[in-house]
Amino acid sequence: MNLLSAITLLPVLFAVIVMCVPKTVVRPVALLLALFEFGLSLSILSHFDKGSALLQMAENIPWIPEFGVSYYIGVDGLSLWLVLLTTFLTPLVVLGSWTSIDKSIKGFHAALFVLQTSMLGSFVAMDAILFYVFFELSLVPMYFMVGIWGGQRRVYATVKFFIFTMVGSLLMLLAIIYLMFAAHDTLGTMTASLPALYQLKLPFIAGDLLNPQTLLFLAFSIAFAIKVPMFPVHTWLPDAHVEAPTPGSVILAGVMLKMGSFGFLRFVIPLFPEASEHFAWVFILLGVVGIIYGALVAMVQPDIKKLVAYSSVSHMGYVMIGMFALNNYGVSGSLYQMLNHGISTGALFFLVGMIYERTHSREISRYGGLAKVLPIFTILFFIVTLSSIAVPMTNGFIGEFLILMGTFAVQKGFAILAVMGVVLGAVYMLWMFKRVFFGEPGELVKDTHHPLHDLNLREIAVIVPLLVMIFWMGLFPNHFLDWTKASVDNLVDNKDNYRITATNGATAGSAAPVGNLARVTAHLPPVKEQK
Amino acid sequence: MNAQTQQVLQDSVVILPISVLFLVSLIPILIKVFRGNREPQPFSTLLYGFIGLVFATGITAAMAGGQKTAFSLAIVLDDVSVWSSCLVYFITAIVLMLSYDHAATKGKQFSEFCFLLISSAIGMVILIMSNDLIVTFLGIEMMSLALYILVAMSKEETLAKEAAFKYFILGSFASAIFLYGIALIYGTAGTTYLIGNESTVGLVQNAGRLISTNRIFLVGLGFVTLGFSFKVALFPFHAWAPDVYQGAPTPITAFMATAVKAATFVAFIRLFHCQGLASSAAFMNAMSWIAVLTMVLGNAAAIMQDNVKRMLAYSSVAHSGYAMVGLIAAGFGSDFNASASSVLFYLFSYSFMTMGSFALVGLLEKEAGTIIRMDDLKGLARRHPVLALSFTILMLSLAGIPPTLGFFGKLYIFSAAIEQDMYWLAFWGVLSSAISVYYYLRPVVMMYMSEEEGAEIVHANIMTRFTVIAAALIIVVVGIFSSPAIRAIRSAFNLL
Repeated sequence: MNLLSAITLLPVLFAVIVMCVPKTVVRPVALLLALFEFGLSLSILSHFDKGSALLQMAENIPWIPEFGVSYYIGVDGLSLWLVLLTTFLTPLVVLGSWTSIDKSIKGFHAALFVLQTSMLGSFVAMDAILFYVFFELSLVPMYFMVGIWGGQRRVYATVKFFIFTMVGSLLMLLAIIYLMFAAHDTLGTMTASLPALYQLKLPFIAGDLLNPQTLLFLAFSIAFAIKVPMFPVHTWLPDAHVEAPTPGSVILAGVMLKMGSFGFLRFVIPLFPEASEHFAWVFILLGVVGIIYGALVAMVQPDIKKLVAYSSVSHMGYVMIGMFALNNYGVSGSLYQMLNHGISTGALFFLVGMIYERTHSREISRYGGLAKVLPIFTILFFIVTLSSIAVPMTNGFIGEFLILMGTFAVQKGFAILAVMGVVLGAVYMLWMFKRVFFGEPGELVKDTHHPLHDLNLREIAVIVPLLVMIFWMGLFPNHFLDWTKASVDNLVDNKDNYRITATNGATAGSAAPVGNLARVTAHLPPVKEQK
Repeated sequence: MNAQTQQVLQDSVVILPISVLFLVSLIPILIKVFRGNREPQPFSTLLYGFIGLVFATGITAAMAGGQKTAFSLAIVLDDVSVWSSCLVYFITAIVLMLSYDHAATKGKQFSEFCFLLISSAIGMVILIMSNDLIVTFLGIEMMSLALYILVAMSKEETLAKEAAFKYFILGSFASAIFLYGIALIYGTAGTTYLIGNESTVGLVQNAGRLISTNRIFLVGLGFVTLGFSFKVALFPFHAWAPDVYQGAPTPITAFMATAVKAATFVAFIRLFHCQGLASSAAFMNAMSWIAVLTMVLGNAAAIMQDNVKRMLAYSSVAHSGYAMVGLIAAGFGSDFNASASSVLFYLFSYSFMTMGSFALVGLLEKEAGTIIRMDDLKGLARRHPVLALSFTILMLSLAGIPPTLGFFGKLYIFSAAIEQDMYWLAFWGVLSSAISVYYYLRPVVMMYMSEEEGAEIVHANIMTRFTVIAAALIIVVVGIFSSPAIRAIRSAFNLL
């Protein structure tokens, strides 16, 4: 069991621990454990060779050898930051839910840790069945999180969420099994390990829907598109977000949606390169529709949380178009935007949750003039808003800029429409900001029986790390992009013949690139050694 | 010792487990007779039952490895028999425990109950080991006759009587048709043996030729299949299942839903071992439609149920459909062993989860005849967190959510179908699993997400509680480490 396995599986143990400790210390213990996990995951960076597109810290243990299923995990440039995003957000969620979650706190933290394992597992899994197991397992704790600690219509929202995602992923399961047998026919052994599946050359016939590659492509794409969620299968998202408790929304928007978009990068594009290229325009089209539709719907929402939820649909549209631009800018930007969205939208959900805790209302029309009453809250909210509308110097700008650059290279028309989406994004966020924070004091703000208190230290401590990340990612994008560049280049340049090989376990970084990759890495610009 | 005596001895070794089991099951009844019709301590009856079952399991397990035939080919003892018989003994032991706890079955007649339950189990083992359709019939009848009485034995309960009567009438019909099918097969094939030896040709060898040339043989095969379909409640022969499952005492329902199904499916697998079944496209299509409709209608009907037992009954119908998918892949595909082992693995996983679920329902029942509705589950998570969590795991497993055993069972079944290029079957399978998620989540919603209070658990019922929790544990642990189990089952089929 190497470090990566430990990071992935430890949260299950944490879940057991929080179930066992006395009720009064559950929160501090959970916070400590989550921080420990974050610290542990930071140590990945010191083992990670950022100039390499290889799979690092890999571990491969046969799991069900009869079916060629193995416990095969590893991290590369595509998954590295998503793993860290997950471990970064979890302690913040524990801290952010300190007072808002008041019933069965043990169960809540146990669910949170199980969820953490399943999310980390989906990002590091290099075996299709293992991925599926983690991908599906993540539904269960989220189902409970929304269903137990959620709002009024929580049962409806959580069942809808579960069934929507499940339907999509079941087709993916069939597709995975098909791939395993295809591997059996061409490679001689049945296997679900991704590096082996990448070697399959599935026949593709453009214009014919009933060829294996297209059908498998669709099966995977539908599963991931529902998770992302892409227009028109996004309808579960606003329901789930509105009903979810604040920590649930943060995890859902911050990390779980990325499991879908990451699936496109890990599975769809390298496994079905021809189909991805052939149908790229569909995804760019749906992405653009999502951007504009999400923005327009967000604009008219009376409920702040629903507005943020629809803004997620819009932002994830950028992720999709960048990815399906299928060039270095687009894919890097898309990966960057996944992180941005996790941080900015996570922060927005935290802030919405904090004000909801004070007033028990999310209706925009009942607010107004908050800026005078809650200055700290206003400043924090404003910075996050700027990040969300991609103002330069914030993280959002870098992501959207890269994505638009990538899209412009392949689909000028759609890129122009997507730029209009950026404007619309500014419109709904700033308009909401104006209505909530400026103007005449609203009924909730005037209410002298319940004077509003500004953020306390704990709440500030939740938001500040996110603000730091917003500026760090906005000012020094290369601190992050350098780590992903090799993997993204490998994906984009060799997508028709994608290969990924594992370096040797914990000695990652020292091993030389092998075979096909030697050729690839030879073309990469030298990476500056910095630590 | 001459050859004949030696043969008899050898034959009796093969049936030693069931003989021992039968003799031990007589002890409580004999005690009752000698004590002037006074019921012995239920706990001692339970112990005798356990002793018999443990002995039977031990002897059976000791005979694992290799293939023996007995009674001039009528009975075959191979690893498939060993595995499935052990499953049946295990289920019987659990059902004994549940019945000992349960209000509807404990009390005055527990010794008779124990005897009948074990007789039924012996019938199942005969059914599992049978290599001759006549013996298969014998096994089915022995299993069913004991069950008819067991269903009716619930104290003074009209629903149980109605269920027993319904089961009896319909079951007799099915048996008659089954027997007729055997007659037609014998008339055309000249044998009722499944696997022959040097001197006798079995059905397995020549069914392929007959099925494409002889219509009467096909009809006979269809009738036999129909008989099996009735016992495992495949559409359109499933109509009895919800009523009987609801009316029977809950431990017996669990017994019917697990052991009866597992044993009959094993016999079904043996029949489908016939090579060349695929040469009749019509037969294959018919079976495929039966499987698809069973899955879809079973799940769709379960959605509408408010009574938990009925919901589980329809769910069990749907699960027969999933097992059928694997069976079709085995019978009509090219890789019998892989597909058939997926069916057996599925039967194992299905038995554990269904047993646990019915045990929980039994736990909630205050007295014989209490009907447990969805609302009764409300608030269970607050009062009994461990039981609620276990039941949740059972439900998730039935729905096929990883990493539970139910997921891996379905994974193997669907891979068997995909391996044989039966994409439509697999497609309908996953589609209906998606439907099933809805109703499997309902109890979870009730237990965790409702403020109201439902039924209280009034009896201590230690063994039933233990069953629920153990089933959930097995489902998770064996689910994550399913590799040894599937390997063992595969090697069992390789010897077949």
